[in-house]
Amino acid sequence: MDRIEIDDNHRLMDTQGMFFKEFPSDFRQIRYFTLLIVQKAPPEIREINLLEQQISELIKNAVKHGNESDPDKLVKVWYTFSEEEARIIIEDEGKGFTAIKDWNEFNAKRNDCLSNEDYESLADFVSFRTEKSDDNDGGNAMFAALEYWNEGVVFTDKANCVAVGKTFPRKNTGIELD
Amino acid sequence: MELTVRKSKHIYIIDIEGEMDLYNAYKLKELVGKMLEKNISHFVVNMDQVEYIDSSGIGALIYVSSALKKKSARLVITCVHGSVKKVIELTKLTGYFPLEDTLKQGILKLMKG
Repeated sequence: MDRIEIDDNHRLMDTQGMFFKEFPSDFRQIRYFTLLIVQKAPPEIREINLLEQQISELIKNAVKHGNESDPDKLVKVWYTFSEEEARIIIEDEGKGFTAIKDWNEFNAKRNDCLSNEDYESLADFVSFRTEKSDDNDGGNAMFAALEYWNEGVVFTDKANCVAVGKTFPRKNTGIELD
Repeated sequence: MELTVRKSKHIYIIDIEGEMDLYNAYKLKELVGKMLEKNISHFVVNMDQVEYIDSSGIGALIYVSSALKKKSARLVITCVHGSVKKVIELTKLTGYFPLEDTLKQGILKLMKG
């Protein structure tokens, strides 16, 4: 995937058959909430803790940037895991990630630096900032998200809800029949 | 996350142990800031005991890389492995960070120049 999509009717937005949890926007509990969700995933797709890490980033964005860590605001999470696929949808009560167009342009320039192995210029594109970013924001989570979630990273038009999906290659069973 | 500093001649090795996440990644930035004030110029950040990193941890490594570059100090990051390596690969920063496989290789690299 080379860009974040905006599509209310995207296939990844369909919550049917998914588990659901909601959390207060408590910054201190982001990793704990993530663990509650990831424990439903089969060990085969956890890849040590990569799945946890990627989900934690999305929950952090919802808690911190969406709901601005207001404990009265909820983060809603729909999720489903199998050995072949992980899907998650996260909705917050915030104003939405309105900088998607800017982010996509920034990411395209970043990818140009990378394909040219131009690490001098890349220094200007290692971290995406907005006026709301603080020193603790890495500004790099969504670059990795786009790489990791190979079915896409999709926001609603209002941009306070993100859906992601990843397929995993089927593991060889080790039994060869011929 | 625990940070300990040891010294090998003029080279300062920062050993990181634990999880480098949104709750504690800032500690590395603070430590390196203080070390720069003392005009330390050769740094190894040893990630041998780090099993988890998130975007804040990656952000701290980016901050350290650029802060040291500005001061013309030298840096190597050593022993990145497991999911930490995967997150750096996903962020496509493998070529951006001065990575070395082992602590010994990192120290040798800093000794050369």
